[in-house]
Amino acid sequence: MARIACFVEKYNFSDQREAIALQNFQRTAQRMGHEFDFLFREGIPEIPRYDAVFIRATTDPLFTSYVVSKTAWELGRKVIDDPESIQICGNKIHLYDLFKKHDVPHIPTVFLNKEDLHHKRLLEVFETLGKPIVVKAPYTSFSKYVEKVACETSFRDVAKRYFRKSDMLAVQTFMPTAFDWRVGVLNRKTLYVCKYMIPKGRWKHGAKRRGKPTFVWGRTVALKTENAPSKLKEVALKACDVIGHGLYGVDIKEFNGNYVVVEVNDNPSIYAGYEDSRNKDLYGKIIEYLVD
Amino acid sequence: MKPTAFLNSSIKDFTLNLNNDYRYLKTGYYVSMHAEVLGNRVIPSSESIIDASRTPILLLRASKAGIPTLPYLVTGSVKQIISGLGFPLVVFAVNPFCYDGFSIAQNKSALYRAVKSLSMNYKFAVCAQPLRGEMVSFKSVFGKCKMEGEVADISMKVYEVFRLPICKLHVQKVGDEAYLCGLQPLRMEEILPADLEMVSEEVSRMSRKGEHLVG
Repeated sequence: MARIACFVEKYNFSDQREAIALQNFQRTAQRMGHEFDFLFREGIPEIPRYDAVFIRATTDPLFTSYVVSKTAWELGRKVIDDPESIQICGNKIHLYDLFKKHDVPHIPTVFLNKEDLHHKRLLEVFETLGKPIVVKAPYTSFSKYVEKVACETSFRDVAKRYFRKSDMLAVQTFMPTAFDWRVGVLNRKTLYVCKYMIPKGRWKHGAKRRGKPTFVWGRTVALKTENAPSKLKEVALKACDVIGHGLYGVDIKEFNGNYVVVEVNDNPSIYAGYEDSRNKDLYGKIIEYLVD
Repeated sequence: MKPTAFLNSSIKDFTLNLNNDYRYLKTGYYVSMHAEVLGNRVIPSSESIIDASRTPILLLRASKAGIPTLPYLVTGSVKQIISGLGFPLVVFAVNPFCYDGFSIAQNKSALYRAVKSLSMNYKFAVCAQPLRGEMVSFKSVFGKCKMEGEVADISMKVYEVFRLPICKLHVQKVGDEAYLCGLQPLRMEEILPADLEMVSEEVSRMSRKGEHLVG
């Protein structure tokens, strides 16, 4: 019997589907004979008591979840997401730099720093990537801090905002598609596959409503893993290979018959009735990996 | 070589990354990150940059390496800090945005104020440690500092573990003993000509070995 701590924050329970998924994790672990406790911020000193830590709170090297991950790692515990994966996936500049090095097919990307914010360089960027372009802050997650711009003025506007926090940002070619593939990968094997549909009239899976703080999300359509195109799974596994052995959600666009990686996320969302609807065994597989 | 030029290059060589500010998402961080992606040996590593500025991880890794530290508590709850450690306390921010991110709290209301401000209105956790002696803050350049005895030992050991060429250390002196409490980046104006001399001495020593420098 192993003791698993699941690090969560209050917001993890605000969405009904996520709360159910968390309960599914707990039930599956208990059915397999393991102890599975939810650990909140106040429980951090309890980490040494557990054999494995499963992080469900949003990860970023700046967040408390990184402290949890690194503490567990330093104590020699099994941990999803491991600190190295958080460090790489939490910073898109790091991620694309690795993709470039290892020839992982990805969306054409250019890095810009504050000194590049001048007319000549921006013209070059528009020439290389076309118009419009997508501007990404390195710390983007849940479709936030990603904006589409078509002219220099709006680019400067967005870049100025993102440069407040980070000294570098990524700009990419705009590739309109009806959906993004999401491939869940665990320990270098495909765990689940689904399509994240783009809402009508939008260009990304989660889009902010104009003038409102709320988001509109596209549907999630799950597929049986064995029915997904094998080329897609190959590309997803290749992208994860450059990062590590953990649990990842790979976003891939299908464009003119080619598969290009948009990004690899650590800590992928798992909502009951969405990601798990065609692959119910994903809970068991994750628990098995944690206690292995 | 300028950091921005290095970021656009693919030089494969040992890289010494000199910067006053190694905070995450800042140029100092990206230089080390890029050098690692290129497969270079680099001082400091991007992992150390993140870890050194997160107080609980700094203390955990330091104590594993034999550097004396005090017990600490990572939490966002004032009640838990009081019941776990008592007063007086020294509280550090866990988010790495601060230059002077620690407060001393002698009583409950001071602790509430400290936690509220250091946690950026309870968005992040804080790291609390007991205050048993006096706090000393000083500059450490390649592990060398103007302090003596135990404190100087800590400075050297912290450099051996994290390899941050330039930083500010917070140490607690209790009688003859010293305990590491925190590490922070230096502001540009805090670096004096004497410190730069120390840096250039160390750099010329390293470059004699034919190493690649970015600063």
